[in-house]
Amino acid sequence: MILYTPMTEEEIFGVDQEAFANRQFININGRTVHAERNKDGSFRILQLISTDPQDYLDDSYTPGTIISGQ
Amino acid sequence: MGKDTSKQDNQDQNNQSSLVQKIQQLGQSTVPQAPDSNIHVLPIIGQIEGHVQLPPQNKTTKYEHLIPQIVAIEQNPKIEGLIVLLNTVGGDVEAGLALSEMIASLSKPTVSIVLGGGHSIGVPIAVSTDYSFIVPTATMTIHPIRLTGLVIGVPQTFEYLDKMQERVINFVKQHSDIEEEKFKDLMFAKGNLTRDIGTNVVGADAVKYGLIDDVGGVMEAMSKLNELIEKEKQSGEMLQ
Repeated sequence: MILYTPMTEEEIFGVDQEAFANRQFININGRTVHAERNKDGSFRILQLISTDPQDYLDDSYTPGTIISGQ
Repeated sequence: MGKDTSKQDNQDQNNQSSLVQKIQQLGQSTVPQAPDSNIHVLPIIGQIEGHVQLPPQNKTTKYEHLIPQIVAIEQNPKIEGLIVLLNTVGGDVEAGLALSEMIASLSKPTVSIVLGGGHSIGVPIAVSTDYSFIVPTATMTIHPIRLTGLVIGVPQTFEYLDKMQERVINFVKQHSDIEEEKFKDLMFAKGNLTRDIGTNVVGADAVKYGLIDDVGGVMEAMSKLNELIEKEKQSGEMLQ
């Protein structure tokens, strides 16, 4: 099927809300991060929420880092 | 002995996987390390989310995250200055005004940089700092407050929105060099925006109108902030 339209795919079909269901804000060592829960219970960091620019250089908070779930 | 080597192997594997992960996510193997910073950064990106939770596919900055951070910055004696990075399309008017007031009432020197866009309610946030910068390519949309494109049916609703708009105009007037008349002219200008009234002000024009203090990026903002911190320190010494 081809849709000839300037609209985005999301506007026509809507967004799969399920994909966002396992995302949450968690706290690691006093820093808030937005993370996605993996199937095995661990978390994958999506975004760090901090005002300290040095936190963004810290390996343990870089996006993509896997943290074992408690 | 055998146990030791297996432990070593395990460690190597761990190091390797973290290295691979870093390359996958950031495209580089080592990230530079630096000493503690006396300047903190407050990024305001995407939509400003306030009273209403937006659908998850929206990129948002939640004001309940930012307000405690601003309090922490005020409280921490190690932090001497704040840079506000703005790239927002606007959002919740009251949340935006709350953030503006919080930033404006900080005792520490503050500088803002408008990158990409500082639209709608991003305008009062941009002017709330002690000194504001805009990069030459950034734009700021100034337009009247509205809920949706629908016609307002009740006079009270109109009055409520009108009062809210008055608050925004007053805040911008107090915290920038723009004249009220000029700001209102830009806000109610016709023919500039599609399907809306208002004006899209580009970098240097925002400075010309007195809305923003200067055109510049990170370097200008950092040197201005350091200058303000120095000034603050000197006035503190004089008091003692």
